[in-house]
Amino acid sequence: MAPDGNLEILMAAYQGGDFGAATALIEQLSPKLHRFFVGQGASREDADDILQETWLLLHKVRHTYRTGAPVMPWFYGIARHVRVNQYRKTNRVALHEERVETPSELPAPAAETPGATDAIAELLAPLPESQREVIVMLKVAGMSLEEVARATSSTVGSVKQKAHRGYERLRERLTAMGLAQGRRGGLS
Amino acid sequence: MKDREIDEFVARAVKDAPAVSPALLKRISASIQPSMRPVRPMPPAWLFTTSLVSIAVAVAVAGAARAGLYGVERLTAFERVLIFPALILLLWAAATEFAASMIPGSRRRGRPAVLAAFTSLALMGVFLAVFRDYHATHFVSTGIVCLVAGLAHAIPVALFSWLLLRRGFAVDLVAAGAIAGTLAGLAGIAMLELHCPNFQVLHVLIWHTAVIPVSAAAGALTAWASR
Repeated sequence: MAPDGNLEILMAAYQGGDFGAATALIEQLSPKLHRFFVGQGASREDADDILQETWLLLHKVRHTYRTGAPVMPWFYGIARHVRVNQYRKTNRVALHEERVETPSELPAPAAETPGATDAIAELLAPLPESQREVIVMLKVAGMSLEEVARATSSTVGSVKQKAHRGYERLRERLTAMGLAQGRRGGLS
Repeated sequence: MKDREIDEFVARAVKDAPAVSPALLKRISASIQPSMRPVRPMPPAWLFTTSLVSIAVAVAVAGAARAGLYGVERLTAFERVLIFPALILLLWAAATEFAASMIPGSRRRGRPAVLAAFTSLALMGVFLAVFRDYHATHFVSTGIVCLVAGLAHAIPVALFSWLLLRRGFAVDLVAAGAIAGTLAGLAGIAMLELHCPNFQVLHVLIWHTAVIPVSAAAGALTAWASR
């Protein structure tokens, strides 16, 4: 993981027109952003598309980053915006398809197809979207509560509450899984 | 099961996540390369805040001066000292929040609805402390005139906020619209306090303060429609 200070320097160089800095940022942050999208229930293909769209938008609005401000909330704030827009677009398309075809003929979403999801998406699948994104930012991206609050345009208290509720649900799920697998001979 | 064990599950799931394809990363780099040039970072937030507050005050003063400064002339020094600094403080708070909404990843102090509710309630508190006339003469007819005048003066401030917003990037356009509406509504109320000589408590509490929620809702709706 790149230290945030390093990212700040790269971001300033990127704003200065340094293509090398842009490439370094893309290489350092894309895996985390990709995991963020997958953790939100996107299929691998969708996550690839959203990642590309995110970078195009990040590039377009790179002047809005202020030197010295935390980098991760800026990136995740924009990534979250792209994901939400993509989600709305998918919903609109799905709604249109439902009107054209009978619901029973619609294929299941890719993320729900067995084997098509990643482990992190499977683990977080039962959580509501708001709790999922908070847990992914905290535990997968390694952001602090303050950074997650900034990225989600909310308060630290609200992030803490969502993380707590998310962990409660995960605990219930993992305990149930542990009990079921324990009967078959082990958790892992 | 302890939190640490859940963390281990999450960490294991992350480790199993497949890597991003190097071809995709190359494609992303290639897509931004042609438009790679230096950009001027956004000015500091205080500059936006100061501009917004200045514009709001200028619109309120100009509007009231044109319509007549009857309200401020009738107010006592004590009433002026309570009302106008409170309005400036609330304007500053709304402008700060709006400047934050233009920058992704900025620190936020609360939801836009809370900001609108807080400013409305704070002003209601000030008005209750200042005014003592509990009559309600021509309550609706005079009230609607004030509400319309307040909203009319909120429009230029909202338009200026919208122009400023184009310089930044609002990740939540509806929230930014609601905050801009609150800010513009405060400018409308400032104009009414300078102009309106009707100090009946109910008139000021209902019709003057209503400018804020109406303007905030209009801002949110406009942003939602333009999304």
